[in-house]
Amino acid sequence: MDRETRRLVEEFRRTDASEIDNNLIDELVAGELDRQEFLRRAAVFGLGAGTIGLLLRYVGDEPAFGATLEPAKVGGTLRVGTVAYNSSLEPYALREAGSLGLAGIPGEYLTWTNNKLQVKPWLARSWKPNRDLTVWTFQLRRGVKFHNGKTMNADDVVASFRQYLNQKSSQILSALPPTMIDPSGVVKTGPYTVQFRLKAPNNAFPYLVSQTTYQAIIQPAAIAGKLDSWVPSGMIGTGPFRLKSQNKQRAELVRFNNYWGGKPPLDRVLVTFYTDPAPMVLALRAGQLDVVVQMSPQQSRAFKGNSRYRVYTVPVSSHNMFGMRVDREPFRDARVRRAVALTLNRPDIINRVLLGAGSLGDDSPFFKGFPSTDPSIQQRKQNLDLAKALLKAAGKEDLKFTITTHNQFDVPDYAAAVQAAGRQAGIDIDLNVMTYDDYYSAVGGGDYNSTTPWLNAPATITEYGARGVPNLYLTAAYMTNGVWNASKYANSEFDSQARTFLAAADIASQRKATKRMAGLLLRDTPVITAYFLAFTGAGSSRVRGYAADPISHIRVAKTSLA
Amino acid sequence: MARYIAKRVGLALVTLVLLSMIVFAAAQLLPGDLGRSVLGRDASAEAVAEYNHAHGTDRSAVVQYLDWASGLPRGDFGTSLVPPEEPVWDVIRPALLNSLKLAVFAFVLVVPFGLLGGVLSGLRAGKALDRGITVVGLSLAVVPEFVTGLVLILVLSIWAGWLPVTAQWEPGAGVVSQIQHLTLPAIALTLVLFGYVARITRAGVVEALDADYTRTAFLKGLPRNTVIRRHVLRNALLPTIAVVATQVGYLLGGLVAIELLFNYRGIGLTTLEAAQLKDYTVLAAGVLIIGFTYVVVTLVADIVSALLNPRIRFEASE
Repeated sequence: MDRETRRLVEEFRRTDASEIDNNLIDELVAGELDRQEFLRRAAVFGLGAGTIGLLLRYVGDEPAFGATLEPAKVGGTLRVGTVAYNSSLEPYALREAGSLGLAGIPGEYLTWTNNKLQVKPWLARSWKPNRDLTVWTFQLRRGVKFHNGKTMNADDVVASFRQYLNQKSSQILSALPPTMIDPSGVVKTGPYTVQFRLKAPNNAFPYLVSQTTYQAIIQPAAIAGKLDSWVPSGMIGTGPFRLKSQNKQRAELVRFNNYWGGKPPLDRVLVTFYTDPAPMVLALRAGQLDVVVQMSPQQSRAFKGNSRYRVYTVPVSSHNMFGMRVDREPFRDARVRRAVALTLNRPDIINRVLLGAGSLGDDSPFFKGFPSTDPSIQQRKQNLDLAKALLKAAGKEDLKFTITTHNQFDVPDYAAAVQAAGRQAGIDIDLNVMTYDDYYSAVGGGDYNSTTPWLNAPATITEYGARGVPNLYLTAAYMTNGVWNASKYANSEFDSQARTFLAAADIASQRKATKRMAGLLLRDTPVITAYFLAFTGAGSSRVRGYAADPISHIRVAKTSLA
Repeated sequence: MARYIAKRVGLALVTLVLLSMIVFAAAQLLPGDLGRSVLGRDASAEAVAEYNHAHGTDRSAVVQYLDWASGLPRGDFGTSLVPPEEPVWDVIRPALLNSLKLAVFAFVLVVPFGLLGGVLSGLRAGKALDRGITVVGLSLAVVPEFVTGLVLILVLSIWAGWLPVTAQWEPGAGVVSQIQHLTLPAIALTLVLFGYVARITRAGVVEALDADYTRTAFLKGLPRNTVIRRHVLRNALLPTIAVVATQVGYLLGGLVAIELLFNYRGIGLTTLEAAQLKDYTVLAAGVLIIGFTYVVVTLVADIVSALLNPRIRFEASE
């Protein structure tokens, strides 16, 4: 490291860096963060690219930025296949892969979470938290044009978020609930500056305004101010392609020449929606599609090892929670729950159910890709002898129970694998595989929360979508009285650690908390998480500059056709 | 004859009213509710209840039905209950048009091939050609249409690369492109229906060949072609009309598997999705239109049969 670099870093630490920034630099220098984790953290806390490069030079690493995409051929139509949707395309109502994928082409977000779970600037060029992580200030990119020619500014951001936070039926409320922020907490503090004033500290707020919260599209203030007018307006956003036409079968988008990120190479993007995935996969094989956004690992087998196609696989934090109600027999005794967990041969289940397209789960939501996950937590392994001994000690050698679940995705196969695993330890497991609708409905017209099977049956398997941070899993599914706490787990020590985690800015504190929480979850085992999934898509090898997005966004600003 | 037609039309109307009632009642038995379907599992119970109330699905089925049915005399099918909450007719119309295009194409293919196969089979009854047509036709008829479609896709689309897999054409496509896109599903339907139509035609031809009037025609020395054209085919094709007519209803509304396989949004798929979403208004309208088609084509077939066969008129007037 040269003298100038040292001088610049010391000056930055003395004059510009916040306490959070200095902690981050200390962790980097002490070797507690590897390069990738440092990049993630630096992006979350709003360090600029220049500063990040300087700090990496300071510790003797290469610059982080500067990679360029391969040259693109200009022109052509990209034909994309994705799943059909039934919900509204209005941003606040987005909840399905098909609709969010379409809306996310003309619409854009303040930040972007990439596949390494790093938060990148997007419509916001930088951001900073206050000291206690309750106020996040975003500086917006200048000169960004909407498709109607208007220049984006703070008014548009405030109006968009206020619309989304104001709707009772808004899907954004699962990521940004009223306990976190009110509509009035989104405040314009300058023509290109917006503050998010939170009710409690949050260490991951920039993730929450990225495309992972797919409702958070920035629309023009005049349109955002009038509910349900985005779609009739033609889905006016700032994205690389503007909508030309759309119906439930197909959407046609054409290049937006004033795109702030540079003129997109493609002329046109044609998105076709498929009710059934099989014809979509066949269409890719027949050359009628260039990209299929998502397919099952089984379907991707036809494309693997074939030079005419590329298969995109991204490890993600999506997983199935196998919850056991700790407040009911036969699961009151933690030894019984641990015994069930010990019957699972997880690598074998990943191979059989997912054809290898997954990563090990350790009965907690701490996906290995999360920087906050402590890597030293020991992985739980199959141990049938110990499982039998635990059942004997708990007086439950004749354990019998029913798993209630639904018939979609990998869930029924996983349930069958759990059933087979239990048999090896003498556990008699019945399966109640319901339709998706039945599983997520109230029973007999009763109160939803107290009757719906997925929150009330003694043992359930429920799928959870990918997140960039574990925050939502913790607050909703594990903390006492969490809205999706199907196991009814209630542990004040766990809650305390979760709150510590949510308010911790530095990685060391977060890992300390996750390690403690993981230990508690291994001991108490209210939920079994055998694996995390991998998002799989495929495309023709003539498609360049396309990267699969595990949320099912269709990111095509730099995509071209060979 | 007029009395016969009036009676049939009256019965058809009663059938349709009963059908709409049954659909509405059956829809109440479907699991889940509208608000949860639209807003998803993450929505609060309060938001779901509010959505259901705003769309009137928290009322009794009878009230909902009467509300919906009151618009029917004016041709108003109501509004779809799911976003973007378009008028039902705007949802149904493009799907119906798609279904009509495919039905017409398939009809144009299956009728001549089915009749030709049936006539040849009947005229060569008991011979190798007859056995060949019968075995092939019946074999194709018992294979589910999605299996036939899948084989066609693999052979004609993926291996040969001649035809598109997806039936839905690109925006602004011309007639030729539309026909190209519809060819695979139309062939799949033709293969499924061929055996059925040919079998009925064959039976008519064999019966007509054995009839007294045919024997008389031969005995009085008419040339074979004239006998077949004037006496055999004219009489043999009568029952075929009724059979083919019932298939029009199937071709229009019963193609869910084909529509799914070829990703073609017809009336069948639209109605199925409405059922899954608890979009009662679209569901009821879709079923009603499919039912209406069945009723009309059956009625037309009966009237044509009656016009061609005096015995039917006589029995009807009794």
